[in-house]
Amino acid sequence: MGNKQTIFTAQQLDAYQDCTYFTRKEILRLFYRYRDLAPQLVPLDYTNHPDVKLPYELIGSMPELKDNPFRQRIAEVFSEDGEGNMTLDDFLDMFSVLSEMAPRDLKAYYAFKIYDFNNDDFICKSDLEKTLNKLTRNELTEDEVRMVCEKVIDEADLDNDGRLSLEDFQHMIVRAPDFLSTFHIRI
Amino acid sequence: MEAHESVDFKRLMSEESTVSTLSSDSCEYYQTEIFDLLPSIQASRPEQNRHDFSEETNQGGREAREKSGQLSRGPRDKTSMQPLRNLPMCIQGKKGAKERRKLEINDINFWESWRKTQSTNRKRVREQIKEALSGLVPWRQTLRTIEGKFGVGVKSYFVFLRYLIYLNLLHCVLIGGFIVGPSIFYRTDEYEPLMFKDSDSALDFFLGTGYVNRSLVFYGFYTQGSLDLKCLNIPLLYLAGIFSIIFLSLILVVRRTTVGYKHTWMLGKRYSMNVSYKIFCGWDFTIQDPTAAALKHGFIRNDLKLFLEEQSFSLRAAQRTLGEKVRLYLLRIVLNLITLSLLGGAFYLIYFATQTSLKKENSGHHWLVSLLLQYFPPITITFVNLVLPHIFRKISSFEDYSFTMQVNATLLRSIFLKLASLGIYLFFVFTTTEQDAKCKENQFGREMYKLSIFNFLATFFSVFFFNYPRKLVQETYPRSSLARISGKQRFLIPFNVLDLVYSQTVSWVGVYYCPLLPVIGIVSLVVTFYVKKFNVMRCCVPEQRMFRGSSSSVLFHFMLLLGLFMCAATLGFNHYPLQSTEGRNASSCGPFRNEQTMFTVTGGCVKSLPSPAQTTIRYLTSEAFALPLILAEIILLTSYVSRRRANQRAIERLKDMLVMSSSDKRFLVKQHATMLRQRNKHH
Repeated sequence: MGNKQTIFTAQQLDAYQDCTYFTRKEILRLFYRYRDLAPQLVPLDYTNHPDVKLPYELIGSMPELKDNPFRQRIAEVFSEDGEGNMTLDDFLDMFSVLSEMAPRDLKAYYAFKIYDFNNDDFICKSDLEKTLNKLTRNELTEDEVRMVCEKVIDEADLDNDGRLSLEDFQHMIVRAPDFLSTFHIRI
Repeated sequence: MEAHESVDFKRLMSEESTVSTLSSDSCEYYQTEIFDLLPSIQASRPEQNRHDFSEETNQGGREAREKSGQLSRGPRDKTSMQPLRNLPMCIQGKKGAKERRKLEINDINFWESWRKTQSTNRKRVREQIKEALSGLVPWRQTLRTIEGKFGVGVKSYFVFLRYLIYLNLLHCVLIGGFIVGPSIFYRTDEYEPLMFKDSDSALDFFLGTGYVNRSLVFYGFYTQGSLDLKCLNIPLLYLAGIFSIIFLSLILVVRRTTVGYKHTWMLGKRYSMNVSYKIFCGWDFTIQDPTAAALKHGFIRNDLKLFLEEQSFSLRAAQRTLGEKVRLYLLRIVLNLITLSLLGGAFYLIYFATQTSLKKENSGHHWLVSLLLQYFPPITITFVNLVLPHIFRKISSFEDYSFTMQVNATLLRSIFLKLASLGIYLFFVFTTTEQDAKCKENQFGREMYKLSIFNFLATFFSVFFFNYPRKLVQETYPRSSLARISGKQRFLIPFNVLDLVYSQTVSWVGVYYCPLLPVIGIVSLVVTFYVKKFNVMRCCVPEQRMFRGSSSSVLFHFMLLLGLFMCAATLGFNHYPLQSTEGRNASSCGPFRNEQTMFTVTGGCVKSLPSPAQTTIRYLTSEAFALPLILAEIILLTSYVSRRRANQRAIERLKDMLVMSSSDKRFLVKQHATMLRQRNKHH
């Protein structure tokens, strides 16, 4: 496969290949997807590391993400500034972790961060309530939401501090039979 | 020491853990300096290491590592071993880590680096091969669409169907290799049976007589042939083929059964994580369609509502008064008696049908009547199997069980119905075949063949002549009384899976007498896939109550295993010389003609082996070996059971320890904060 592309240097492509789960072809394809979101902002030449950030609105309108109730959290978790505005690095990182080849532990780590709405490294009851409301589009009553959150904390909280730490979450999710198949985005 | 309210290490109740903001007490806990320095908190923040890494690339590896080494030794050791992409940090961090590793390994020789690149290339090639192979798996796109529109339960039905197709393909390969191949190759009286005779007709395909009777579909076709070595002859190969099919099916089914259940069995109900899985793994991130997303939201909501309903149901059940309980149990006993009588009636019907069909006077009728008479038992069995499960479903709705219990109770009764009807049918066929029939095995194979074909036809026609018209009626006359009575059609997963399992059981039971039954199985399964897909996509609406698959899967796999057992029992029953059938042991057709039985053939092979092997085999099959074997198995099982119990106790102790150390930590942090505050106050 010849190096006919002029977007990245060979070292850059190598570095991306090492840091993500994508092959060279896929990285280039993802770059074109990134560029298609805003062709006027994204240059065709990344060899001099331009500092380009796409705003969250463009990312959130991608067909792979627009129906996902957690798209804002996903963008926030993977973006450098925590606001959802993503550079190409963040973009590649996001789809790499969400691809089929990422291992379970890595996905569990990022899933934890996605569900941790207030970014305090713990999934507390309010995080759970927000997750539940996003999942059911606010169609459950408050009582029902409360009961479900209690049950979750009861099931998964191992060290009994009333919230889920990363270890609790990983311990629980590692045995979930369909976590790998649901927590993945095809692009 | 300051007076503290005693730390309560019972699980927090809902009143204590209020809405989003944490209580002031806890806020103080999380904002203390020492909290940030705790090793467990440091370990869960690897992106702090990112900054350390990018600094190190400027400074060089060693000193920075030592600086932060004390506090975060744990994750650092882990991160230095793993491949870069598995590190939970952003790309900048990974690039920094890569630079750091490069500095570490710049004195690795050429050989090592070449080997590393080779192994990464091999990993990439393997991934690509896996990707290509998974692209070859049939119907992936269809299954994805079905899952998007109807949920995971319906998709699992189709996945199970595909699995059965693979199983039948394996059977076909084995039969081709062991039975059909050598038989055709070493045949002495070449193609004489396969010529069309005058008495053949198109009906033979449905009845299994005439041309089909003589062809390789049935047992009678296979002869001794010219392959006549002591340990490699057609009868032995035939036996080997059938036994390998049964054995492999057993292994595959057991493996499939245990794959998902290890954890549930090991940990028991207390640690089931159902609701957590529903919330954290509930949303399918691959959904890209707004209607599919809306459906998924609906599914999740209904699933959670079902869970809450079950909670309230168990609460209600626990609060039943004695009078209510007595009345409920009486009702259940009455309903079970009704079920038993229905089952008895069904069995009598089958007996009647078998007797009618096997009577000798059937030959003088018009061809349609004789066709119907021949198919009378399969028709009855299929009719009974279609109607009674729905009646059972209605009955179980009166018994005041929770929803999953209802489904399982219906399933248990239906499984019993299907297996028992099949068993009774087999029994009657065995005992009422005439004494002087030319080839009993062919007759038996014929019955299984008819059963298979009729099952397939019933599925096919029921969709096109019942489900589809019903849907048309619903659409064109939605207010008519007919449409209102029948209601919207739903794809009932348990009954459909049960049908699949039943047809697979028939295939297993009949494979000895009709070796091409797996081929028929594959064809019918493939057509069933498309027919059911049509049924689901065009005629059904998504089921509102989610089918909780896990507990019912146990029942389905149990039925598969029972089917295998029934197959083995049929073979044993047929081959073991019974007192009453002493005279008719010699069969006049098939590979075991000429006074041979299974035992003589295997005996002949064993005798031809060298003498040490003979003595070993004789020892292995004697009773003197069976008894120590059973004892050893019992001892092994007991050790496993006690190990499991010890593991469970260890898990309980560890969980308690975890709770205790967590409360210790909280207590100590609070103490430390209080003491700091006091010290600052004094200064």
